Amino acid sequence: MSEHRTARQIPLVAALLSASIAAADPPRFEVGSRFPQIVLPSLTDGRPMSLAAFRGHKVILQVFASW
Amino acid sequence: MVGIIQEQHPDRARLFMQWKQMGWPIMIDALNELEVAVVPITMFIDQHGIIRALRPPRRRITEAVQRFVDRRFDDPAQPATRPDPPIDSPIGSPTNLPSAPPTAPSKAPDLARLRAAAHDGASCDWRTLGQALVNWGGSGAIDEAITAFETALGLEPEAKSGPTNFRLGVAYRRRYDSARRRPEDFQQAVDHWSRALDSNPNQYIWRRRIQQYGPRLAKPYPFYDWVEQARIQIRARGETPYELAVEPGAAELARPQRRFSNASDEASEPDPQRRIDSDRRGFILAETVVVPAAVKAGSAVRVHLIFRPNDAIDAHWNNEAEPMQMWVAHPPGWLIDRHLHTIPNADTAVSRETRAIEFELVVPADAAAGTIMVGAYALYNVCEGVDGTCLYRRQEIRIPVKIGGS
Repeated sequence: MSEHRTARQIPLVAALLSASIAAADPPRFEVGSRFPQIVLPSLTDGRPMSLAAFRGHKVILQVFASW
Repeated sequence: MVGIIQEQHPDRARLFMQWKQMGWPIMIDALNELEVAVVPITMFIDQHGIIRALRPPRRRITEAVQRFVDRRFDDPAQPATRPDPPIDSPIGSPTNLPSAPPTAPSKAPDLARLRAAAHDGASCDWRTLGQALVNWGGSGAIDEAITAFETALGLEPEAKSGPTNFRLGVAYRRRYDSARRRPEDFQQAVDHWSRALDSNPNQYIWRRRIQQYGPRLAKPYPFYDWVEQARIQIRARGETPYELAVEPGAAELARPQRRFSNASDEASEPDPQRRIDSDRRGFILAETVVVPAAVKAGSAVRVHLIFRPNDAIDAHWNNEAEPMQMWVAHPPGWLIDRHLHTIPNADTAVSRETRAIEFELVVPADAAAGTIMVGAYALYNVCEGVDGTCLYRRQEIRIPVKIGGS
């Protein structure tokens, strides 16, 4: 399996061992900045979800794709 | 642990989640509202919502996770008493991270308020409305979502229209996959994704969305070849795989090629003298989609042809005669992977399924910019109604290939 598709290798820690497919970091994400307020549908039931709902907890966020 | 998945089809993301037994909350970002240009991206976010690490080092990820979990982070609203040490210093053994439930429910945006704001509003107001309608309006709101995005595009300068074009493409494809489908929706999706990519060629999420449906020469990998393996492994665990609303098409399963396989020219044209009567009644409705929307000279395109029995006259495929065939006559100097296509009959005497044929062409390196019409025709057996008259008919198909992309 090619390196850039290691997102398929789960469990948890392996999910973080993933190579990116291009160079530049998205400009709105910087260490020290607040994660944007964004509400998206939950994958399981379609209900609204956001990271703000996890305030008070540390979060390891993985932005990924199945392909 | 929380995930955000970039995906056109939520049902495929759910199947992937089930396959990999991902027990943590995952959100779907079909519209790329995060505006990430790449995946995957890992972030450590503290309890105040502050990003503390972005893409932590892979070789020491376990230690980085442990340190992040154990670290105390000051509230940014309060003055810091001491600086936080770096996260990636190793301190101990890995730990399992339970998924914490949300501490407070999130709310979908107020569609009525967004509609009011968009009325006489700026492009961003219309785009926000379009996004909310796609995410929260249900299938009945997709027409309104497309109108909102189109309105936003009309108010935006072309150079800044990438995100809106991409999201409009998502909306068109979503409508194409629904009962509200219009014949031109798939091509519209491809066209708008292509316009988005033209505005920002470094946006790999947008690029992948086109490659997903595009030619093998341009594919980095097979996009959904994991689906069958996932189903097998899920069933082996005694579970029932999530159903897919839209099965991956041939393009989405195809493996990349580094060299084009030109047709061997052994196939015989089935009706060179045009002796078969034309389908003047319109028993079968044909749709043509070309990916990418515009191709550079010397590059490949993938053509999707979709054939649907006409509901208005209760047309059916007749599966008790010879199978459907399609012949593609490519222009001189072009390459084609296959001239003659045959679709096997269904198992029943008559049927009404949608049939799809895909093939690829390579444009000559010295081709001039412009649109070339590639000719093809389909031959098929159809019946009007289940017990009605059955006929063998021919339909001419003109495939516009636009040359001159970037």
